[in-house]
Amino acid sequence: MSARTGIAWSAAGAVAAILLAALWAFPLLWALSTSLRPELETVSNQFHWLPRHWTVDAYTRTLGAGNVVRWLVNSFVVALGVTVLTMAISLMAAYAFSQLRFRGRGLLFGVAMLGFLLPFEALLVPLFRTMNQLGLINSYAGIILPQVVSPVVIYVFKQFFDAIPADFREAAVIDGAGPLRVLWSVYLPVSGNIVWAMAIVTFIAAWNNFLWPFIIVTSNDMMTIPLGLTQTYDAFGVRYAQLMAAALLGAFPVALAYVAFQRRVTQGFLAASGLKG
Amino acid sequence: MASVRLRGIRKHYGDNPVIKGVDLDIEDGQFVVFVGPSGCGKSTLLRMIAGLEDISAGTLELGGVVSNAVAPSRRGIAMVFQSYALYPHMSVYENMGFALKLAKVPKAEIRERVTHAAAILQIEHLLDRKPKALSGGQRQRVAIGRAIVRKPEVFLFDEPLSNLDAALRAQTRVELARLHRELGATMIYVTHDQVEAMTLGQRIVVFNAGRIEQAGTPLELYQRPANLFVAGFLGSPRMNFLKATLVSGEGGLAVVRLAGGATVGVAANGAHARTGAGVTLGVRPEHLRIAGPDGGGIAGRLALVEYLGDVTLAYVQVEGADGMVAVKCHGKAGLPALGSRVSLGFEAGAGYLFDEDGAALPAA
Repeated sequence: MSARTGIAWSAAGAVAAILLAALWAFPLLWALSTSLRPELETVSNQFHWLPRHWTVDAYTRTLGAGNVVRWLVNSFVVALGVTVLTMAISLMAAYAFSQLRFRGRGLLFGVAMLGFLLPFEALLVPLFRTMNQLGLINSYAGIILPQVVSPVVIYVFKQFFDAIPADFREAAVIDGAGPLRVLWSVYLPVSGNIVWAMAIVTFIAAWNNFLWPFIIVTSNDMMTIPLGLTQTYDAFGVRYAQLMAAALLGAFPVALAYVAFQRRVTQGFLAASGLKG
Repeated sequence: MASVRLRGIRKHYGDNPVIKGVDLDIEDGQFVVFVGPSGCGKSTLLRMIAGLEDISAGTLELGGVVSNAVAPSRRGIAMVFQSYALYPHMSVYENMGFALKLAKVPKAEIRERVTHAAAILQIEHLLDRKPKALSGGQRQRVAIGRAIVRKPEVFLFDEPLSNLDAALRAQTRVELARLHRELGATMIYVTHDQVEAMTLGQRIVVFNAGRIEQAGTPLELYQRPANLFVAGFLGSPRMNFLKATLVSGEGGLAVVRLAGGATVGVAANGAHARTGAGVTLGVRPEHLRIAGPDGGGIAGRLALVEYLGDVTLAYVQVEGADGMVAVKCHGKAGLPALGSRVSLGFEAGAGYLFDEDGAALPAA
């Protein structure tokens, strides 16, 4: 390939990348643009890319009216709770399936992996009944507990642990470490990036989860932000600026978390795929 | 320090037996080497002593205490792995002090023991480094240091030198021997390298197919191998074997006839085999002399010569031999041209005879 052809391909690639990025970014930028307009301008017949009158009214109204701050706090508590518990349960399960030898290990792992085949929607009714019987409707525990078992995360961790030389575990056992200590002091630090990657993915999934909170929560005070957004719509009517402001406020913490841990997430997925980071 | 006593030790994975009944006594402070070919069970037995593998049957005593069901960390053992198994996220200091930290030893004592072990191994300057910043030899020292700080009753080494280059291996062998003298600890060392076994071991245990073939001092095993396997396993190049028939075995001199028709005398008690029985004659390469075709003895043809500097290895084709017969010579003077007919001779006391089952006939 000549140098000129190479440059042409690079330029074409760059243009394609810019177009794709614009395509991805457009809805977000449009939401931002809408949220910074007066409500009247959002329903105007005239189309403008940018607000004609810039204002943060939609944000102040959203934060002042409704229950957005409360919903954000709820989302944070739920997402953090789901993430911590999912990581703890998945790490212990994966370590047991990968490193411990006990009767029925293969069968149990197979049963755990059957979770892949069951859509969450199919479990809604039995889970709701169980939570109801436990008196956990409209509680953090009721929102969090059904989300904390993730076959995918268990599978990813098990695959990763399988690839760690058994000598590390055996050396730690001789050093006097029990299974939990081996997991905490040896396997967890060695698997740092993949744990971070799974934690971020779990956090985002829990933050964005709409269906289960929609089923289990009826109290406005216990709503998470995706659920609350529907209430915003109901409360304000078709108020596009406020709706966009609420949506952006809801998405902001997740985006911030992803940006903060982007490098770890990328390295984690590279490690999980067997590619060198 | 502690003695190690194995009685009727067996190990099987499902229906597959791996260790088929091992009885062994290792004295306090002894350096014992388990040696044998790959898959003979030596590492499995070491792991059973460490507690990393369950014992299917038999009794393991460490320091006089039955330890079959004792947790690895409570057996008073420390193990150096072939891969070193240094925790990659911990510094050398943390690696060496990890066991003590788990045992809740005070920090000051951990520091004292780690720095003492580091001084013994001359790795004080490496204590802040991570394993990835160490060379193979340095990692090996850290792995040994990690074992030393625990002050174990018994050190277990699982082929610890196999990842090092030849020069470093030789140097580390010397250091391990020094370490054993200084610590006076009981050490069990697994290797498939007979040079390591011969140089390090006060006692060598030769394994084959899950059984002990012979145990003894290096010289005992070398000079009085119990059977064909041990005779062939120890020594480089290995002992030469020639098919023969026992002609007579009286007066402390057994006379055998080789496949080529030559008869030779061996200082062995031929009374243990019947006259006319098939036997195997064994002669080590360093005990063979090479002469012209009229020199008498075993006739053959010189096929190959290897000059190794200090010694020369001549390979001779001999009828009835198990492969080519190796002869270790000093210097290259006096060797006939390749392809020449030669004759091989040896002192009667330097030969070995093995019966049809491979067991050595006792020396006269």
